[in-house]
Amino acid sequence: MRNRATTPLKTPKIRQSWSKYNLYNLSRLRDVYRPNATFFQQKWKAKAAARAYHGEQVSEKQWQRMFSPRLRSVVPMAPSNLARDDGSAMSAGRGSGLTKAPQPEEMEDFEVYEEDAGADKPREKFRGSRASYTGERTTPYVQMTFAPLERRLDTAIFRAMFASSARQARQFVVHGAVKVNGKPMRFPGYLLNPGDMFQVEPERVMYATGAPKDKVERRQTRVARKKAAEEAKKAEEAAEEAAEEAEEAAEATKAESAPLEAPRKTLRALMSKAKAIMNSSKDVLPAKRKQDLRGFQRAVRRVLSRSGNSSVLTANLEEQFSELTTLLKVKRAEKKPQKAEKTEVEAKAEGSATEKSESEAATTKAGENGPITTQLSEAFRQAIQNPEKEVDTSELSDEEFEVLRRALVQMRDNPVDSTKPYATPWRPRDYMSAFATIPRYLEVNHNICAAVYLRHPVARPGFGEVPTPFGEMVNNPAFVWYLRRR
Amino acid sequence: MAQRIPNHLVSNSLLPYLSSSPSTSLFRLTTAYTSSSLTDASRPASRSFSTTRPSQTKLRREMIRWLRGKGSELQHHTPGETNYITHTNKPFPGNPLYRSDPILSEDMRNEIHRQVTVQNKSVRAVSVQYSVDMRRVAAVVRLVELENQMKEQGKSLALPYARAIHEMVPVTHLREHDDRRKSHETINDLPVHRLTDPQIFYPVSESRQFNRIDAGRVFSAAPALRNQRAEWLEANPDETIRRITQESPANIEKVGKGDEEHQVLLPADARIPHPHMITHERNRLTIGKTEPAEVRQKYRERLEQETQVELQRKERAQQRLEMKTQKVQPENSRFEFRFTDVVVSRETTGLTGRGHKAPGRRYGVPSSDRKKGQVKIPTRVKV
Repeated sequence: MRNRATTPLKTPKIRQSWSKYNLYNLSRLRDVYRPNATFFQQKWKAKAAARAYHGEQVSEKQWQRMFSPRLRSVVPMAPSNLARDDGSAMSAGRGSGLTKAPQPEEMEDFEVYEEDAGADKPREKFRGSRASYTGERTTPYVQMTFAPLERRLDTAIFRAMFASSARQARQFVVHGAVKVNGKPMRFPGYLLNPGDMFQVEPERVMYATGAPKDKVERRQTRVARKKAAEEAKKAEEAAEEAAEEAEEAAEATKAESAPLEAPRKTLRALMSKAKAIMNSSKDVLPAKRKQDLRGFQRAVRRVLSRSGNSSVLTANLEEQFSELTTLLKVKRAEKKPQKAEKTEVEAKAEGSATEKSESEAATTKAGENGPITTQLSEAFRQAIQNPEKEVDTSELSDEEFEVLRRALVQMRDNPVDSTKPYATPWRPRDYMSAFATIPRYLEVNHNICAAVYLRHPVARPGFGEVPTPFGEMVNNPAFVWYLRRR
Repeated sequence: MAQRIPNHLVSNSLLPYLSSSPSTSLFRLTTAYTSSSLTDASRPASRSFSTTRPSQTKLRREMIRWLRGKGSELQHHTPGETNYITHTNKPFPGNPLYRSDPILSEDMRNEIHRQVTVQNKSVRAVSVQYSVDMRRVAAVVRLVELENQMKEQGKSLALPYARAIHEMVPVTHLREHDDRRKSHETINDLPVHRLTDPQIFYPVSESRQFNRIDAGRVFSAAPALRNQRAEWLEANPDETIRRITQESPANIEKVGKGDEEHQVLLPADARIPHPHMITHERNRLTIGKTEPAEVRQKYRERLEQETQVELQRKERAQQRLEMKTQKVQPENSRFEFRFTDVVVSRETTGLTGRGHKAPGRRYGVPSSDRKKGQVKIPTRVKV
């Protein structure tokens, strides 16, 4: 299927895509009131703009058959209101409720239940008892015009943020990377039923949402691939020849691993590398960062290969970490009843704050001059100045342990791997955050790239659940346009 | 399945970002932009050596200016904050009627899963406890189970990706030991019923209490209740709702004849997902201040009762299904054959002969799958 979802600058069209062109077009989008246009022209413009975004890959005939004039909506009910009143207050007086201001306590109760529905809007004046049920907000029905398209599998994948555009989502489905309820589904037009679970291969999602490789990285990939091919060839030749060479190679590797470094020295190197990794901010060039990471990886490998147990290298993180510490003869520092304690406690508090998210620690520039790193660098400086002092170098404080652990975690979860089709270590693609939203009718587990379509999208007082860039000025005429044949 | 990820050499118009890293491309654009006779203070020291001039339109220059200016803050996110054009929780500047709703944090998901699977709490109880929709609770349990399964199988997870997403969108975190629980979403959503669409002018005497039960009857064109019955219902609201929600749905009154037959529209009290919360609120209003312990006790009992009733209903449905199906397992066979009776009658096939309740082809009735607009792709996938 030819991709017609272009994002021209001259005649801007909003698409289901995370591209920066689309973002720019979105920022320029204005609701234009055209008083001189005929009703037909208004409807035409509106439906053209709306259809360029909603189900652009679906043919017009197909969409016309999907269109339904019945728009789903819900009203959130407050049990306290239902308990207090059997509904006769609504029908009292002349049939539309008694016109009196509600009790202040009622309003408070109402807000408790409705807090998510209208927290960000200044509450308008209550006019009658009906207001306590609807909160004086109208239900934007026409925002649900394109709700039937949200049932499509490809659209749902895009909404769950598994693909960077609806077209890419469609490609994932057609190429067989998507399962529905555990079974492969190759139809992008499959209409999800409430309760259906769909999952995309995590590798594809990482590729779709991750930053692309740059020139240097692509070159590195080519080089690595060539090298791998050559090695494979050599291995074949070696297998053909004899075991002699194999013996030689074994000797060579022995010779390589022979020079054992002093544990203290190794530790110092490791820590400095870990620090560099955790410190990296936006200013640091990614290439430099990658070198750091690789260096750290190599260092950890080297240390771990010294252990008698050969399975440690592939074992889980906790084992690796404990092995690492025992190999380096590291003991956890006990708190000393000195001035240092105060600073340590402070640093710990800061540390736990930064622990929340690793990348938070990685991105904040404060990390460069933060208390942890200053302490660390101080420790390193001391270690370098008086190396005979055993305590300073072989004992690690909690923060240092934490840094080492975090670096290890990051190395495991987000490794540098040139075989991947995206830039490694993985980072979100640019301008992704401007489009990042998960609609309420989906429940998504991003770890496994699976989501459940809970129910059909609905309109509720004040909000429509269909993510659409257009307001009622566009959706209303578009709805009317599609009503005409029915 | 074999990996089919397209290699990076393929230049696909779908993936415009594949070819170059944005930082470098922006830089290139900048140089082009300055070289095209536009005076700019921040002229970079280096120039591209390419002799061909990239075509630059005014629109493109404006876009680049925007991307370097206002748009530059949208390029990367600050963890824990949304980063939309509007600087609010609304991602679309043209649509104030859509907002980005919070998603459940990882802790919250795991806690919900633990409560349902380990502590054996009912979905209903967990839903009320954390103010999370019941369908969402069920989905969370399902997804966490799948996650654990995938971890056991040693499959690769998209952890850095998940972390990045949770930094970008609003998240509801688990709050322990906090009395002021923030609700994740409204859990008592009443779907707007088709019968309530028309506006009806229905005169009622002023002396009469016209409540939600009466309104439902008017909307579904059912005759008004007799006074005695109406009085009893009004006097015992809790019992009324309990009967509707816990007894068989077959007991719901029906009106109309033939194809027009439909159930009488129930009051909102019975149609919201958690009717027991109304009883609880009523107890709180009446005896809440004097005997709070009793209110809590009653709530627990009612919840327990709801759970039991649901379990019994499920069991009965299972039994009914087993009664209908005849199972035959031949000796030395891997298979079990299950037979259910089918009924092909005027009732199941309908007047047109195309009724979907009756199975199989019907003589004389052409298949409609050659017609226009017939969906040929599967309409459901069984779990």
